[in-house]
Amino acid sequence: MLDTNFSNSIICYHGPINIDLISFFSNFLKQHLKANTIVVGRIYKVLIELIQNVSYYSVDQFNIERKFGSGIGWFRLDEEEKIFKITTGNKILKEHGPVLQKNSNEINSLDEESLRELKRKTRSQANKRDIGAHIGLIQTGLITGNSLDLEIEPIDTIYSYFIITAKVNKS
Amino acid sequence: MKNLIIDAIPDSPYYPGVNFDAATGICEMTGESYMEEAYKFYAPLLNWLKEYSLQEGNDVTFSIKLTYFNTNSSRLLLDMFDILKKSKDAGHQVQINWYFETDDPDIKDEIEDFEIETGLKIKLIPVE
Repeated sequence: MLDTNFSNSIICYHGPINIDLISFFSNFLKQHLKANTIVVGRIYKVLIELIQNVSYYSVDQFNIERKFGSGIGWFRLDEEEKIFKITTGNKILKEHGPVLQKNSNEINSLDEESLRELKRKTRSQANKRDIGAHIGLIQTGLITGNSLDLEIEPIDTIYSYFIITAKVNKS
Repeated sequence: MKNLIIDAIPDSPYYPGVNFDAATGICEMTGESYMEEAYKFYAPLLNWLKEYSLQEGNDVTFSIKLTYFNTNSSRLLLDMFDILKKSKDAGHQVQINWYFETDDPDIKDEIEDFEIETGLKIKLIPVE
């Protein structure tokens, strides 16, 4: 669940997430985050990919009629000595946990060239109406060059809580 | 055939600006692309490009000036390149120019991935 130690936190949000909110926060950080341009650009890209996954795939939705892009969850950006950490959390169906874990393990095990190959393969096979969360995680692995940290905690027999952290190096 | 023009909207920066000119064959996309349900936005672009680029004598210069696009949009960009590849294979002149910001170290790999997937050559044009 959400770590409530905010001493290194630059931004933290919990609640409904739609495209306007994603755009607001990511552009706010792009303009005001104190880091070099390349690092800010990478945080911007990772933030959008990961928060859009919450918006699309959280099982908690604030606008049930829309069925898409209205997920409830949280995200935060923390600054540490050598890295920025982008973390998101949302409720998922329990059955999706092992798939997410397997995909992330694969991403973490591959070198850059293999990851690019996986991205091309995944993209070309993706449904254009909903390309899925997998490619966003691959892209996050490519942009950051770091492993993805996952936590999947069971809530009950139907749902789990999914937390993912991506790390962007400061240099 | 009519031009396809979609003006960029500052309040919705996740939609790119689009200017597909039927008189010149110059097609341009600007801004950023990370909207919800990207296929709905891209459907008319794909239809326009398919209709235009496969007509006899219609050559295309496709200029991409996107400073950011998410993975959803990249799936649709791939579809656009596939259409352009078919047009090229049918004997049309197809030129793709990608204007990229020099402080984005990751974009060249992204463009190279599109080249590998489509077999098209994309000209890189740096923008300071």
